[in-house]
Amino acid sequence: MTTLIQEVEPEPDSAIKRWLVSDRGATISAAVLFLVMWQLLTLFAPRVPTPWAVVKIMWIEVTGGDYGSVRRGEFWNHYAATLQRYAYGLAIGFTAGVLVGALIGASNIARALISDTVLVLLALPAFVWAFLTTMWFGIGWQAPVLTVAFTAFPFVAVNVAQGVRAITPDLRHMSTAFGVTPVKRFRHLILAGITGYVFAGLRFAMIVSWNGVLLSEWFNGQVGVGFRTRYWFDANRYPGFLGWVISFIIFVVALDRLVLTKLQARAFRWRKTNDELDKELLATVG
Amino acid sequence: MAKVTVSKLAKLFPPPIKGGDVVRAITNIDFEVDGNVFVSIVGPSGCGKSTLLNILSGVDTPTSGSVTVTEAGKPAKLGYVFQDARLLPWRSVMDNMMYVRDDASEESVANAAKYLSMVGLDHTHEMFPGQLSGGMQQRVGIARAFSVEPDLLLMDEPFSHLDAMTARSLRDHLQDLWSRTRKTVLFVTHDVMEAVQLSDRIIVLAPGGVIYDDISIDLPHPRKASDPKVATLQAEILGQFENMQIPAVE
Ligand SMILES: Nc1ncnc2c1ncn2[C@@H]1O[C@H](COP(=O)(O)OP(=O)(O)OP(=O)(O)O)[C@@H](O)[C@H]1O
Ligand SMILES: [Mg+2]
Repeated sequence: MTTLIQEVEPEPDSAIKRWLVSDRGATISAAVLFLVMWQLLTLFAPRVPTPWAVVKIMWIEVTGGDYGSVRRGEFWNHYAATLQRYAYGLAIGFTAGVLVGALIGASNIARALISDTVLVLLALPAFVWAFLTTMWFGIGWQAPVLTVAFTAFPFVAVNVAQGVRAITPDLRHMSTAFGVTPVKRFRHLILAGITGYVFAGLRFAMIVSWNGVLLSEWFNGQVGVGFRTRYWFDANRYPGFLGWVISFIIFVVALDRLVLTKLQARAFRWRKTNDELDKELLATVG
Repeated sequence: MAKVTVSKLAKLFPPPIKGGDVVRAITNIDFEVDGNVFVSIVGPSGCGKSTLLNILSGVDTPTSGSVTVTEAGKPAKLGYVFQDARLLPWRSVMDNMMYVRDDASEESVANAAKYLSMVGLDHTHEMFPGQLSGGMQQRVGIARAFSVEPDLLLMDEPFSHLDAMTARSLRDHLQDLWSRTRKTVLFVTHDVMEAVQLSDRIIVLAPGGVIYDDISIDLPHPRKASDPKVATLQAEILGQFENMQIPAVE
């Protein structure tokens, strides 16, 4: 006896569903959902400022006005100070992470000696570094910069080590057997092999360390986004507090989505989607 | 026309476990290959076949003895096909071809394309290895090795990871390429049938890395697996192997 199975054409997903799972659709709908939840929350928790109150005060912070003690232009001064510390911290953490990651990836002895330490560092939250560096260096530029550097470092190192390990002895042997020149090897075997991992490391470093610079400025700054956040907190003005924090988060997320995610996807064209990479990293951390 | 001279070659590896015996991968072998011949090296797993090719290609060094691979007195240019494709995963097929070539001129690109075309991969230039099937990747590996126009071509069980049908088709590709280019080939396999079909000469290695036999095969190329003459010879040589004393692998 034979059974005939009716062939069913797979239905394409509806347009709405496709938009929702597209990159842009997901970002926009997540933002809208967040705002709605926030607005709802303020109905039950009166001390939580409404989104509108936050936008209002941030508008005054940016343009200068008669609310509080902000002078015109100060908003950008605070931002510039924080971004500079953030950038220097990332640069230091990134450089150290690339060097140490390359070492761990390339040498078993180095891996035995330092990879556990790096894993422990991976688990240390930024606020620990904010405390420690403030204790060590007191007030000044060192604490925020080094907090970011220490927080960022292990994420870069872990990713770069993984990248170096992807360059297997087999591929090196192949290059030797064909007599590929050292210059070509460096460019096509080493650099091209680790670029994607380097971007992945940088992305995660950025995302885990942004709160480090704010916390550290909270403790010891006289200028900066973190300092301004504390200013409004101490003044019992929560819209200002929230506004500064959220503006910085938006900045970091935008930088990630608009620049780094794209660079990483390009460098990893040969491999996986960014989503898969995110999952992989979350698995190493969690 | 490469000339390969292997004399008193030995290779020892350190014991795999502490206090164990050193591993004798190759024990004092001598042989010579001269001219555009297709030579197979057959033998059971672990008898030092890959080690021998690695030493010939400079990836590994001998413990004692010497090997020379020359082309008219100068060091020969090598091509190598591995057991797996060994392509750079982050480079396109064409970039992988160009990676092993000395110049990046238009002619050189056209030449690489020609070899890709010979193995039926015209439409894959811009694809990444991960987007190709295992058999297609292996074909890129074969095209890459031929495209450097080597004086000596080393092949290490290039078809052993493939299904029988793909392996057969690649074997035909290989014979076709070889009859057009006639390079000196050292072809490692543990498949006696394959060796008989492809080679002019078969060097048989036994466990411990010693030469057990050295057989000449005098049939015209290309040879079909279904050709009765080939089949008869295969049966005959397989028969000789049944008498080969192979110590049990522990
Ligand atoms: N890098 C190494 N370190 C230690 N021992 C090795 C190494 N490479 C090979 N050997 C040992 O040398 C012997 C020969 O290995 P080889 O890979 O040359 O065998 P083979 O004939 O190619 O086997 P197969 O047919 O399975 O590929 C084996 O016993 C193997 O364990
Ligand atoms: Mg082998």
